[in-house]
Amino acid sequence: MIEKLAPLKHEGEQSLYPNRPMISVGMGTCGIGGGADLVYQAFSSYITEHNLPILLRSVGCFGFCSEEPLVMLYLPSHPMVVYSRVEPSDVPLLADNLHEGRFWREHVLCKISAWDHHLSSHSYGEGLAELKEWNELPFFHSQTKLVLRDAGLINPDSIEEYVAVGGYRSFASVLGALSREEVLAVVKDSHLRGRGGAGFPTGLKWELMAKEQADRKFVICNADEGDPGAYMNRNEMESDPHMVIEGMLIGAYATGAKEGIIYVRAEYPLAVQRLKRAIAQAYEHHLLGKHILGSHLCFELSVVEGAGAFVCGEETALIASLEGRAGRSTAKPPFPSQRGYLGCPTTINNLETWCNIPLLLGMGSNWFQKIGTPKSPGTKVFSLVGKVRHTGLVELALGEKLTTLIYEAGGGSVQSTKRIKAVQSGGPSGGCIPASLFDTPIDYENLTKLGAIMGSGGMVVMDNDNCMVDSARYFLEFTTKESCGKCTPCREGLSQALAILNRITTHEGKMEDLKLLSELCTHISDTSLCGLGQSAMNPVATTLQYFQKEYEEHIQQKHCEAGTCEAMVSELCSNSCPLSMRIPTYIALLRENRLVEAFTSTLEDNPLPGTLGRICHFHCQMRCRRESLDNPVHQGELHRYLADTLYKMGQEQDVYQDILRRMQKPTNKKISIVGSGPAGLSAAFYLSRLGHSVTIYEQEKEAGGVLRYGIPDYRLPKDILAKELEVFGLLGVKFVFSTKLGTDISLDELRSKSDGVILALGSYHHANLKLPGSEGRGVVQGTDVLKNLAVKEPEQVGKRVVIIGGGNVAIDVARSLWRLDKEVVIAYRREVDEMPANRSEIEEAQAEGLAFRFNVAPTEIIRDAMQNVVALRCEHLLCGEYDLSGRRKRKGKECYEDLACDTVVIAVGERVDAKLLESEALSVTTGGQLAVERHSYLTSKPNVWAIGDVITGPSTAAEAMGHGKEVAKIIDRCLTGEERFSSLFSTFTYDKSVAKTLHEGKAIQSERLELSQRKHSFAEVNKGYTGRQARMEAGRCLRCDIHLEEVLNGQQPSARNN
Amino acid sequence: MDSNQVHVTIDGNELDVAQGTKIIDACNLVGIHLPSLCYLKDISSYGSCGVCVVEVEGAKRLVRSCMQSVQNNMVIHTHTQRVLAARKTNVELLLANHEMTCTTCERNLNCELQELAQQMGIRDQRFVKTRKKPLALDLTSLSLVRNPNACILCNRCVEVCRSMQSVSAIQMTRRGLSTQVATFAELGLGNSVCTNCGQCSLVCPTAAITEKSSEQEVFDALADPNLVVLVQTAPAIRVGLGEAMGMEEGALVTGKMVSALRTMGFDRVFDTQFSADLTIMEEGYELIERIQKGGTLPMITSCSPGWIKFIETFYPEQTDHLSTCKSPQQMFGAIAKTYYAEKMGLDPATIKVVSIMPCTAKKFEAGRNEMDSSHAYWQHKGVVGEDEHFCDVDYVLTTRELARMLKRLGINFASLQESQFDDPLGESTGSAVIFAASGGVMEAALRTAYEKLTGNSLENLEFSALRERKGIREATLQIGDLACKVAVTNTLGNARVLLDQIKDGKSEYAFIEVMTCPDGCIGGGGQSIPSHAEQRSKRIESIYEEDRGKQSRKSHENPSIQTLYASFLTEPLSEVSHHLLHTHYTKRSAWDH
Repeated sequence: MIEKLAPLKHEGEQSLYPNRPMISVGMGTCGIGGGADLVYQAFSSYITEHNLPILLRSVGCFGFCSEEPLVMLYLPSHPMVVYSRVEPSDVPLLADNLHEGRFWREHVLCKISAWDHHLSSHSYGEGLAELKEWNELPFFHSQTKLVLRDAGLINPDSIEEYVAVGGYRSFASVLGALSREEVLAVVKDSHLRGRGGAGFPTGLKWELMAKEQADRKFVICNADEGDPGAYMNRNEMESDPHMVIEGMLIGAYATGAKEGIIYVRAEYPLAVQRLKRAIAQAYEHHLLGKHILGSHLCFELSVVEGAGAFVCGEETALIASLEGRAGRSTAKPPFPSQRGYLGCPTTINNLETWCNIPLLLGMGSNWFQKIGTPKSPGTKVFSLVGKVRHTGLVELALGEKLTTLIYEAGGGSVQSTKRIKAVQSGGPSGGCIPASLFDTPIDYENLTKLGAIMGSGGMVVMDNDNCMVDSARYFLEFTTKESCGKCTPCREGLSQALAILNRITTHEGKMEDLKLLSELCTHISDTSLCGLGQSAMNPVATTLQYFQKEYEEHIQQKHCEAGTCEAMVSELCSNSCPLSMRIPTYIALLRENRLVEAFTSTLEDNPLPGTLGRICHFHCQMRCRRESLDNPVHQGELHRYLADTLYKMGQEQDVYQDILRRMQKPTNKKISIVGSGPAGLSAAFYLSRLGHSVTIYEQEKEAGGVLRYGIPDYRLPKDILAKELEVFGLLGVKFVFSTKLGTDISLDELRSKSDGVILALGSYHHANLKLPGSEGRGVVQGTDVLKNLAVKEPEQVGKRVVIIGGGNVAIDVARSLWRLDKEVVIAYRREVDEMPANRSEIEEAQAEGLAFRFNVAPTEIIRDAMQNVVALRCEHLLCGEYDLSGRRKRKGKECYEDLACDTVVIAVGERVDAKLLESEALSVTTGGQLAVERHSYLTSKPNVWAIGDVITGPSTAAEAMGHGKEVAKIIDRCLTGEERFSSLFSTFTYDKSVAKTLHEGKAIQSERLELSQRKHSFAEVNKGYTGRQARMEAGRCLRCDIHLEEVLNGQQPSARNN
Repeated sequence: MDSNQVHVTIDGNELDVAQGTKIIDACNLVGIHLPSLCYLKDISSYGSCGVCVVEVEGAKRLVRSCMQSVQNNMVIHTHTQRVLAARKTNVELLLANHEMTCTTCERNLNCELQELAQQMGIRDQRFVKTRKKPLALDLTSLSLVRNPNACILCNRCVEVCRSMQSVSAIQMTRRGLSTQVATFAELGLGNSVCTNCGQCSLVCPTAAITEKSSEQEVFDALADPNLVVLVQTAPAIRVGLGEAMGMEEGALVTGKMVSALRTMGFDRVFDTQFSADLTIMEEGYELIERIQKGGTLPMITSCSPGWIKFIETFYPEQTDHLSTCKSPQQMFGAIAKTYYAEKMGLDPATIKVVSIMPCTAKKFEAGRNEMDSSHAYWQHKGVVGEDEHFCDVDYVLTTRELARMLKRLGINFASLQESQFDDPLGESTGSAVIFAASGGVMEAALRTAYEKLTGNSLENLEFSALRERKGIREATLQIGDLACKVAVTNTLGNARVLLDQIKDGKSEYAFIEVMTCPDGCIGGGGQSIPSHAEQRSKRIESIYEEDRGKQSRKSHENPSIQTLYASFLTEPLSEVSHHLLHTHYTKRSAWDH
């Protein structure tokens, strides 16, 4: 039989491996969407115009969708070179160079020296050592291309090329040599499971049908791929259509079916076109029809286009649709293998299952079983989309971990400021798996255990810009619409669940809704008729399970952290600000030159506007929509400018007086706050304005906490902080210095003398690295170094310093010591991109020329005979697999380096002093923080609240101040029984029209201190905006605060109150 | 154990049941009645409502007892917490988008959904209405009204229409929450292939499909002193009305019914059975004529209006097989407004004929354009003008409507005295009574035809072969030299079989009786709800009992009929008969109604 394929094979090899230069353009739907058709045309005209002896052909998709259009260039006996993101303008250079026997060096993605089609292999050629081999790219590295073995390399419209890479050979050898039973045995032994999602053993399904006695039997290929974000089947059809036909031929032979149907959704026109062409070619070459390859086997195959109902992917609904009825599922039994299409025995397999068959028969079940896991052998093609750097089709052996898929192949987060939160596996009927469970191996059982499903292999990655409640709502909206409407639980139940989610995402949710929702999850799954209903609540059930906190925030705090629930979020910057600063308000007022009002607004929201404007993490900037155009608006610089300007002009006193005038009458309630850091100060500011009598206890001699003792002057000059602390005195906040909780005063004492106690302790406790040699002189804590510098005490460091760490403390210490002329090296266990410090601080440190050692782990502090530190011994680290944070695990290379030094600064692992908390009989979490009730900040002791680092671990100043603000609101409500908090905020009216033209240009950089002036100086590096700069920057704001309906109504609504 | 039996355990009760028994039916055997809103034994096992779920040991999910058959050694639990909670939730979910207008609903206190809500102990509404806009009522039909807002999409109507009647006028359309029962292109029942049989309204668990009511018009007519309101009651009413009035199933209530109608204020209480006898005269002679003169055979009865619309729609080329006789209802109307009016000296325009029918299709029939021969009669005589148009039958009430009207008037039906129909249109024979049951028209026609053709008296008046409870029955009657082969059927699905035989030239029958509804008019779409097989048996029993008790059991022996011919019609198939008692048919199609 196989010899009948020989002429085709020969012809195919001519175009696959020609003896002249060849250009192949990837022409899948994704490629064409990226412009591949234009590139193809450009090549075509260029080659014709210049009469170049270059072969041009179109191929399928190589799977790397985010790099489309992909073009492959071939010179005989050279590796194939793959180019990415090719544009028509690149065509002349690519073609000319190729014509001259060279490869153009721009846009090169990788090379392919040899390719294993499994049923054949080909070595293109050696050389081009400077180029990466295709499977050295992280995207391809862990892939095992079985189903995608030919995709992107062969011309899908050429049966000859398919035969040339080994196609139809499995079928021909089956036909010539194996009995039906033998084929069934191979499929059964392979343990291949259905790739449509449920994972039913394919061999078993075939056997059931083979046993049925009937005049007509059918095999059906289910290519009704309908999950949003899943398109692997589309690519399989578009890139390698003959693979499906061959699989179905083998299936027909084994099960006794004489007719076959491929059910494709009509939304896949290119796939339909290529399938139809492939079927016509197969008929032409006697691979379909009567007496196939001269044998007795007859098999007729046709394509049916489905109208695109999601439920038609369910096999009984698919059969109904094929029969011309509405796509509604029916109960099983009878199973289709008994009574299916037109009442005849029918085997329905997912397209990808069929695609595995030729390989399985060609290579044998033993070979197949070695790939994947024993229970789930083989591979699965995933379509990886969403918030990852690299999107596309990834074929992994089953049992690979989600970390491999998402962090390695996917390349992790789209931006360093974003954090991957979860992946929705298996489409809208799948489940949402949190990042904390990404070390799960992917197979049918594991995914089910997590509440998700394999489904057809759609993987939608979500990050902190995605609200989990909203994403559950989105998927549910889809299934609610796609429910066939037949059975009560699915039709009515889903719509009820959707109504509940709609309520929650529009701030009308109640806590009881969560109970009802979880009841519906169980109920709908338990009583729905078909797979659609049974699995439709998975997104809800899993998000409820893994992200309950987000649901509660939506309901109790009316807050959507991700900023996607429009009804709760007016603009992303304010929404992301832990202090809920009215950012568009002060920007608009600044633009109108109403600086006093603008300052008033910032001060009301944030008692330390000048300070935070300097040292904030700028959560707002990470969410600014302007970033999608060029750079985010520098909101922080703007409120710093406002503060600096007012202070310079002395106008802040008027504002202070105004605030004092608007203070509430004394309530005679006493509040004690422990800690005068940002958290404590913020709580004090609001509580005192509400008329409560506030006393702050501080263990140091002055107020400010980390702001004073942890941040060097060149970032935050002390006079700014002093200026901003003035208002606290005016408000009557009493400070008791040099008083440490647990030593100088006990919690019970504080409780006895006040109506409420707030613990705002911060995280100062030091970690001990437990390195050999770390005891003794020359090893100091980073926070101690900073504090000593702040109080101008003699530094404890020598001349050559190694700093261990990658956070802000490490950078602050390094830059401070550099200013003092020390020789500084920062040793960090990962790469620069993975440093947790503020990006701008790292950049400044790099500009100042500081030395870094990356990928090293300290192993020992080496001391000389005098016990003086002489070096830090580090082990170089190798990057291993990805951990749950999306960073690669490091393992020691057993290759060491001594970093010569006389001082080692430890700048890692600041912690909360859990011992102190325990000694005060407060509950502590397993993470070592003070335990509080999630939304009330109440500790285990009555009338004792806790905020800031002490409950979260090291966090940002803004977050700590946000806690202070929230707890003030809660305590005031508790003490007075009234809602008075909003009275603290003024209302501002400002222009709410949108500029007709966009203020173009990137963010404005304020002037920085010359590098040459930084040595020996702690002068502030950032000089801040000039007035002109501030107005220009304010002009860059896109005004997300203005909503369409306001524009339409011509209203001038006042700014939102807190 | 019998190999066709399987052993099951239901709530601890062990029993052997026939293989293939549905779990829900097996549960009935141990005295557990599982609730369901969509199951219809032997007709519909659609599994939509999800109320009949049970727990089966070893099954991952709850099992729908109406869909799954028992398996050997199956262990079933019918009232675990999980089961009860699931049932309750499904009913609650159905209620959420149901219009919940119980107090003003005509199915109030006779509604399966309401009953289940009670049974499940639902006391509050945990779910909101998710279908925002009320859906439009379908008022296009002369017989039926569909209210999608009351519909719970159980699919019973669709299934009865499809599998029993082979009409498929309605289907589930659209998806998700927009799912609706609708006709083709959502044009409405009145613009569809619907035969108006009303079987859908009988099986509907709620008030989503009901008859189009004429109650108020009839009350208005009764209150109008200028009108003479005549009422005719179909044979099947006397065995169906009692049930609706709280009496036992199949109760024979002829006398009480007459009293009740008289109490309501009808000026004359007549009987459609009078015109049933008349129909036999005309139809019998028509058959004889067709046999003797080589007319189109088989001849098929024409008294069931659902059937008429069916053949007109699906087999328009075969309407020649239909007897040209009008149905008894229409014959009555035509005679009442001509012969009777003349005799009594009444102005035909002031006569209102009200029919009480077990049938919703009768409403459509009365409204057909050609059903105005009494007007033509008087117009021809120059008594009325063209613009003073009236129909032969003015209002048609179903059994259910009559029951509602009686209740509204506070008539204590069970305690009423029995009384007699008025003369002369109240007199009837046993042949007319049995019109109510499938096969009755055939029997009645044969009784007359035999005697007219042979001149001999028929000894055995009951044709047992035609009384079997099966879809298609046949019999051969030797009439002299002629072996007359006849067939009787009910439901349109069965009628289709006989029509296909005719179409294929394989029909051996001379005469066929077709009734649209199961077991004939006693199972009509306008009868009281519920209407199931056991109940219908009792109604049939009562019908035959009435026949046996009649003084005369042959139509041609009805004295009033004899008088009618003698004084007005002259003879069957006469010129006058032709104008007043015979009709013609419309050729329709699936697209053109």
